[in-house]
Amino acid sequence: MTSYVYRPSASPSAAADWDRGRVLRTNIRAILGRAYPRVIGSTREKSWIFFEIALPFLTTSAFVFVYRSLQAPPEYIGFVVLGGAMTAFWLNVMWMMAAQLYWEKDQGNLELYFTAPIDLMSVLLGMAVGGLFASLIRAAVVLGVGTAVYGVVFVVDQWLLLLAVFALTLTALYGLGMVLASLFLLWGREAWNLTQLFQEPIYFVSGLNFPVGRLGFLGALAIATIPLAVGLDAMRQLAFPPGSLPFGTPPPDVEALILVVMTAVFLYAARVMIRFLERLARQEGRLIARGR
Amino acid sequence: MSGVEGSSTPGKVAAGLRGRADFDPARAEGHGLADSRRAFTTSVRLGWQIESNWTDPLLFLIFLVARPVASALILIVMLEVISGGANRDLRAFVITGSALWSFVVAGMAGLAWSVLDDRERYRTLKYLVVSPSTLVVMLLGRGTARVASGAMGAMIAIGVGIVFLGVPFDVTRVDWGLLVPVMVVGLASIVALGLLLAATVLQSRQDSWSYPDAVAGALFLVVGAIFPLTVLPGALQAVGLLVPLTWWLEGVRQALFPGALSSIGGAGSFYAQVTGRLTPSGGEVIIVLLATTAIVTLAAATIYGVSERRARDRGLFDRTTGS
Repeated sequence: MTSYVYRPSASPSAAADWDRGRVLRTNIRAILGRAYPRVIGSTREKSWIFFEIALPFLTTSAFVFVYRSLQAPPEYIGFVVLGGAMTAFWLNVMWMMAAQLYWEKDQGNLELYFTAPIDLMSVLLGMAVGGLFASLIRAAVVLGVGTAVYGVVFVVDQWLLLLAVFALTLTALYGLGMVLASLFLLWGREAWNLTQLFQEPIYFVSGLNFPVGRLGFLGALAIATIPLAVGLDAMRQLAFPPGSLPFGTPPPDVEALILVVMTAVFLYAARVMIRFLERLARQEGRLIARGR
Repeated sequence: MSGVEGSSTPGKVAAGLRGRADFDPARAEGHGLADSRRAFTTSVRLGWQIESNWTDPLLFLIFLVARPVASALILIVMLEVISGGANRDLRAFVITGSALWSFVVAGMAGLAWSVLDDRERYRTLKYLVVSPSTLVVMLLGRGTARVASGAMGAMIAIGVGIVFLGVPFDVTRVDWGLLVPVMVVGLASIVALGLLLAATVLQSRQDSWSYPDAVAGALFLVVGAIFPLTVLPGALQAVGLLVPLTWWLEGVRQALFPGALSSIGGAGSFYAQVTGRLTPSGGEVIIVLLATTAIVTLAAATIYGVSERRARDRGLFDRTTGS
């Protein structure tokens, strides 16, 4: 039975006099509820299969042909295909995580989130889970078709570490997405432009189509700060023959640790930012005002 | 049309009301060309404000330049990794191609994003549709602002390439007689492709923000933007030759860097096999560009017309979606 306390409270969650089990169930329902429109929406708008799965493969192919025109070693084709697959996650994080709270404000949903007795982290997690659905399909298609069409050969000795690095890359990426979602909401209209700005420049410093170690200090900086850069480099080290990557970057197990640290830092930062936003929204009310 | 019911455009509504003493048809039908001109200029001004007034000029400049320069740098590093910077011709080729491509992306996205912006974010599309102005004129105006910002970004990126990345450029050798017509017709082809995308997103939901990038990315493969077409299989080369952007890029390269590497021709290319010549002449580029642009423009206008009618019939203009 629903019950609320009748006293001044810091948040709707605090006002809801629920036991832990109910809080947990409500938040799980919030996660599933926020993921639902993304998964179901995908099945209702079939055009995304063409525009977001088939066409991005052609973009990746363009970079494959650049290497072919240069008669590059075959591993480089594999680097491009793997990089092309990982762009699906980066684009999803930028467009459907980072910019999302700003969209929600424009659509009038944000005040509902702030007034519902749920943790806003559940909403963000739901966005991530829902977004992962389409991104995983897109990445799998680019990787699978690219491997088949361009004859990419993977040499994997440490499957477990490779899978762990992949999972850690995703958690770090979506953790970063949660932080950016809060920041973009604060930045208002700049969010839209930042979403565009954080594409090619990030692809460049992350070494999307080439070994990131080639960038020297810039590459090292990217490995220390951008999950896409460190995750991609670790996966390349684990998926291609030793010696394919001629420039020194940390070994994959060290890069996995970097990803663990990134995940923890980003999730903590996201939590702090969300609390800050909730306070701003409730005390000043300006975060949910449209048109800012 | 005998009455107002079932009318799907302001013009038809006006036709239904014509004859009533208290009704001025011009208020629904507009004032013809003068209205279109005013709607266009207002849309351009509005589009430019939306594009640029979110930040200070310095940050806006960085924003304009960052994408095309980063795109060029990705390709430069790819070249450096493999060839160690030995091939300066190819460097000029990829820098020009990627800079121009950012212009293409901006031009193609402009119209489509205007539809999405006005329908999903500002929720004003339905009001624009029922106003006496023609929707496509307003969309073209909004798209023009993005084309302008894309052009600025492309020019600065080429400038960065010339000054910092060793692109060999001599202003006295520029073939203006080729550059000007190629740019004018090329711009028309970019706008036509943008119109096609606008027609598409009129029918789709909010998540189609990324569609212009996806389409541009796919065309990237077949137009010789970052590598000569001769690398591709013959069938893909043939597809590329049907796209006006291929000829536009070739024309701009020939005009800015006479004697530079051709994206269309070359030994063993499909073009050379069909025509028996190694590279197309400037005149040939203009003629084929005109022909392909005419076809794309006709197709875009037709498809857009069908899409707009369907959107009116199904009430898609005031539909907002989310995910």
